[in-house]
Order: sequence, then C-alpha cells, then structure tokens
Amino acid sequence: MNYIQLEKLGEGTYATVYKGRSRTTNEIVALKEIHLDAEEGTPSTAIREISLMKELKHVNIVRLHDVIHTETKLVLIFEYCEQDLKKYMDQHGDRGALDPNTVRSFMYQLLKGTSFCHENRVLHRDLKPQNLLINKKGELKLGDFGLARAFGVPVNTFSNEVVTLWYRAPDVLLGSRTYSTSIDVWSCGCIFAEMISGVPLFRGRDNQDQLLHIMRIIGTPDDRALRKLAQDSPEITIKQYPRYPKISFQQVLPKASPQAIDLLENLLQFDPSKRISATDALLHPYFTGTVSTIPYGMNAPPGSMPPPPYNYPHPHAHHHQQQPQQQQQAYVHAQPGMGQQPHMGPPTMGQPNMGQPNMGQPNMYAHQDAARYSQAAQAMAQAQAQAQAQAQAAHAQGLAQAQAQAGYGGYAPQYGQGGR
Amino acid sequence: MSAALVPLASLSQIERTPSGEDGLPADLEDDLKAFGCKLIHQAGILLKQKQVAVATAQILFHRFWFVTSMKQFGIGDVGMGALYLASKLEECPLRMRDLINVYDLLLQRATHTLALHSSPNANPDFKYAPMSYFGTTFYDLKDALVVAEMQILKRLGFNVHVVLPYGTLVNYLRVLGLTSREDACTRAWGYLNDALQTPVYALYAIPTIVSAAILLTTRHLHISLPSTPPNCWWDLFDAAWEDVWCVCGYIMRLYRDRDMVERVRVVGMVGKKEVRRWLEENVAEQ
Ligand SMILES: Nc1ncnc2c1ncn2[C@@H]1O[C@H](COP(=O)(O)OP(=O)(O)O)[C@@H](O)[C@H]1O
Ligand SMILES: [Mg+2]
Repeated sequence: MNYIQLEKLGEGTYATVYKGRSRTTNEIVALKEIHLDAEEGTPSTAIREISLMKELKHVNIVRLHDVIHTETKLVLIFEYCEQDLKKYMDQHGDRGALDPNTVRSFMYQLLKGTSFCHENRVLHRDLKPQNLLINKKGELKLGDFGLARAFGVPVNTFSNEVVTLWYRAPDVLLGSRTYSTSIDVWSCGCIFAEMISGVPLFRGRDNQDQLLHIMRIIGTPDDRALRKLAQDSPEITIKQYPRYPKISFQQVLPKASPQAIDLLENLLQFDPSKRISATDALLHPYFTGTVSTIPYGMNAPPGSMPPPPYNYPHPHAHHHQQQPQQQQQAYVHAQPGMGQQPHMGPPTMGQPNMGQPNMGQPNMYAHQDAARYSQAAQAMAQAQAQAQAQAQAAHAQGLAQAQAQAGYGGYAPQYGQGGR
Repeated sequence: MSAALVPLASLSQIERTPSGEDGLPADLEDDLKAFGCKLIHQAGILLKQKQVAVATAQILFHRFWFVTSMKQFGIGDVGMGALYLASKLEECPLRMRDLINVYDLLLQRATHTLALHSSPNANPDFKYAPMSYFGTTFYDLKDALVVAEMQILKRLGFNVHVVLPYGTLVNYLRVLGLTSREDACTRAWGYLNDALQTPVYALYAIPTIVSAAILLTTRHLHISLPSTPPNCWWDLFDAAWEDVWCVCGYIMRLYRDRDMVERVRVVGMVGKKEVRRWLEENVAEQ
C-alpha cells in the first residue's frame, strides 16, 4: 500500500479509521478500512459511500481521494480531519456546549454541505455529530456516506432503517419509506440544539420512546395533522399518543438567541412538508441578520480551533471597521475560496472537478477594507444565486446533452491497484 | 449530478469491445449478452425480486462488457454478480444462498436443453438435482459471485448509478397524448424491457431509448405522430433521428429468427472456459 498506517482515529458502525501518511507525498490522510465479508461480499455501505462520494466535491464534504481494493479489504483514503464534532464538543465545549459563534459557523457549514448533497440528489441519511468532521482550520465536513443514497424522479421507496435513533425524523420513526431531503434537515436541527446545549436533544431508548421524547418537546400533532401525515405517506402507522403540549425551545435552550430559536423551529417541524430546506435555511436571519455577538477570536479559549468567521455572510461591516486588527488576522487565516462555491451545473463525466473554481486561490478579501468587503460579499451572493439558478436550469433542461460519453473505467487510474 | 448523469461507453469502447478484440464475433457477443440478461431476468422472477433491481442488474451487466472480455469472465457469473450488486443498490438485498441455488437451477436447465439437442434420445423431462450439502458447487459459485461483484465494482470504477426509463416513458406518452391507448403503453413498456437484453442502455441516453420504444410502437399500431421536419415528435425529447433509428435496430435484431445452431450455441458458452474453447476452435491464431 502506498500509505503508512498510523494511529487509530475512530471506529464506526462498520469500519475502522486510521491516520495514514502517503509514502510519496507525505500527506496526512484518513484510511477507512472495511473488511470484505465472504458472507455478504462488498458491504453495501461501502458501495454507496464510494459511488456517491466520488462525485460530491465540496469544502463541506470530506473528500474521497482514492480507493484501494484488495481481496480481503477495501481501504478508502479520505482527506484528514482533526476530529469529529462529538469529540470536538467534548474537548472544546463548556460541558459540551459550544460558544454561539462556533455554533453559527458550524451550523452554516453543516447546512451548506447538506444543501450541496440535496442539490445533487443525494440523501445523507445519517447526519450526527460522530459523522461530522472538523479540521484544524475549523472547517466542518460531512463524512460517512455509508447510508447515503441517490434519489431520482420516480419516488422510490427506501429502507426504513436509517439514521441513528436520536437524530431520526418523526416521519421515519412512524415508518415512512418515501421520505426525502427533509430527513437530513431534521438531523441538522437535532445537531444544532446539541451544539447549543451540549447534550442530545431527544434521547429515546427505542423507536417508540424516541417519538415520545420528540412529542414531549415539540408537542403531539393534532389528529388532523396526523391524518395528513398518513395521507402523504400511506405506509406509516399512526397509533394513539399522549397529548403533549408544545414547549417553547427558548425554555429548553435558554442560552439560544431568538434567531437561533426561530431557525430551530423551522428545522424541527413534525410534518416533513413543513420543514425548511437546507438551502433556504442558509438564508435565515440567524445567518444573515444583524450580528450582536463579538466577532470570533475575542473569547476563544487558547488552543481551540477557530471556526472561520467568513463562513457565513457577514453584512455587519462596522465590526470590521472597529476592529481592523482582528479582521486582518481572521482573514489571513481564512481558507481560500471558502463560502464561495457556486455549483457549476451538471458536471460531465470527463470533468470530475466541478463546482469549485475557487479552491486553492488566495483569499481575495484578505486586505480589503470593510466597505469593499461587504460589497464584494453582496456581489458574491448574487453571483452565487445566479450560478445556482443556471445550474438548476441546465439540470432541468434535458439531461440528454449532459450525458457525457466518457466511457467506463474512466476513473480507473484514480484507484490504487491494491497490494497482492 | 450523480443521480442525473449516467456514464455511457466511449466511441472506442463501442468500436472495439474487449471480447471483440479477443476474436469473438460481434453477433455472438450480442447473443451471449442477451442470453446472460435472460438468465438475470429468470433468476429475478424466481426470486420474486423487484423489477428495478433486475433492470439495474441488466444495465450494469452490459456496461461490464465494454471494459471486460468474455474470455476473462463468464456471462453466468457476471450476471449473478450484477443481480446481487443491483439488489444491494436498490435496497432489496438477496441472500447469497438463494441466488446461488436459483442460478444453479437455471444452469442445469440450460445444460439439459443442450443435451437434448446433441443426443435426441435423452430424457426430455428436466429434473433439478439440488446441490449436495457437502459438495463444492456451492462454495465455487459463492466465490465466483463475490469475485464477480467485486470485479464489476472495480472495473466500472464504482460508477454504479443507473437511470431506468419507465418514468420518462410515462411522461412522454402523456406529452404525446397516448396515455389513453393502453395497447400503446403496454407495447412501449415491453420494448423498453426487451431493450434491456441489448447494450443500448450503456450506449444511449434514456430519451433516445424511450423515443425508440415509442417509434416502434406507433409504427406497429399505425398511430401517426408528426414526423416531417421541422415538426418531428422526437425533437421534443432532444433525441436525434439516427440514434433513435439505431436503437430500434438493436431492439428489432432481438426478434430475428435464429437457427437451432445459433440458439443452442449460447447455452453452451455461459462460462469463460467454454468461451475460451470456442475461441481456440474457431479463431485462427493471428
Ligand atoms: N477523514 C477523517 N479524519 C479523521 N477522523 C475520521 C475521518 N473519518 C472518520 N473519522 C473518525 O472515525 C469514526 C468512524 O468513521 P465513519 O466514517 O463514521 O465510519 P462508520 O461508517 O463505520 O461509522 C468517525 O466518527 C471519526 O471519529
Ligand atoms: Mg459513522
């Protein structure tokens, strides 16, 4: 193998992940080892993960570099991240709770990655802190696509066995098999609350108990609402539930700002059709509205990984004017091209590196004054909206042309040969 | 992207298939692919597997032969591997033992058919002999299955996303105002299914294939649709006439009459060993 295996980073539900170093480039990577079982062949989790992640290239999605396929195991070579969000909260949080700026930065990046998946017709289906990775630049990346799947036009029925219990949407708990992107949005909401408070929001023991935990906070839907759910997805079973009144999230999460609470309300809707989309959530005032907290860096405990402040639109230019020093520093640390990832439209097979024209470019705002920054940010948002609209139009407009004749095995050189 | 885009074979892959490079004539290769797909189809029915999984398996099976020669892998093993893999992709996994038993039955039946043709006084009734509990057949087939699945993944570079044509067909029939013609709907649907025995799903975009199924249907049922430039119905779906026509050719060739020798020959070439023997006997060394 072209990589030296270093210490163990973590163990998941079906794989062991090690730190590794490339023998050729010395680059540090994560090696996810999956044993091939003679009883079931190649695990479907691995098949899904590889086939989907090969195509999903985004700053907020952990990058799959390579796959090594041997007789006995599959090794997936991923970009290395310092730790997962669970461990990050344990180490850097105040009894698990993260400070508001970090929460907002992580939440923005989580929604950004999720929205990118959804735009590309991929459901993650297992969003939880253990599957979100944080690197030392404070970038959050979605990982573990072992339960993910592509969704297409004729609504398929999917497996009901998805998402770790605590992050599972109520419609899935009720037995839905026709769920869609809203199931990931629910998980995002649960993670949001957990980052704010430090503890998981709904901690059920089993399916039924989980549902009750949810109802005890967001309230039992009335009969009409339940009937509507059953109508939308006929495969679900509605039982009798105790009538719990809704508790306000403010009461559950006293530390959260009103805007955070409002976003949370939108994410954690019982009825999946009422849940906000990840893309719309990014435009919520929680991210775009007036920022009342001190810019990041003032109150950071030493040694913490700074979440990059440029990850969400920051229209409040005054802050930067008041703290030119601060701004300088923050932007020097800034990751090139972050937060400006117009989705370039349907890629062609021959052109796998889509969607990220800005990667590797120096950050263009590093030395600009605040006013120009806010202008640029606006222009950027516009350009992004345009690019997205274009992408969607192109998408809708006859997939026929998009079908690139690149041929099979086009990716083969990208894969290692595997030790024999 | 991943869901909307499907990799298609490149021009050079189409012009020179790996089996062709090894000396296998194109018509025999096509017949073998069709037979391999029939086995997948029959196995799917016996296993009560969902049609989406069966169709996905057949499309993966066709893609595979654009990167691999039948001299290296047999159509039986690859078909079995494709069905196993597709069932995982469509979230309706099969038990290995069930799949292996069913393939064993189908292959025994094929051998029986073959025997009938070579010796006319053989017993015409087919009787399935279940695998012996301690025999090696099961383990051999299981190994072959695991290897086939892995080879499909590896050689297709994990590009296993497949788009099926049925939703598109329903849309097009609606656009063309044909949904009330039940005979047309059924026939077009049937052509799409039969087309799974040909490589077209690895060669053409879905709109082209669906247009071909509709073209064959309307010709057969004498339904007239606007077909003179600049008002051609297939233009609505961005399908090029030459491509549509070409797909029709692939489909119609399935129904061509074949003589007994041609029909039996594929039955005896399910494994790579038999393909190798055929090549040794029929292809002069260059
Ligand atoms: N790229 C990575 N960098 C650092 N740690 C990782 C990386 N990928 C996974 N890990 C660690 O390994 C754990 C298990 O990985 P995961 O991909 O979730 O496996 P599983 O599918 O078995 O759950 C994660 O929770 C995380 O702690
Ligand atoms: Mg995991």
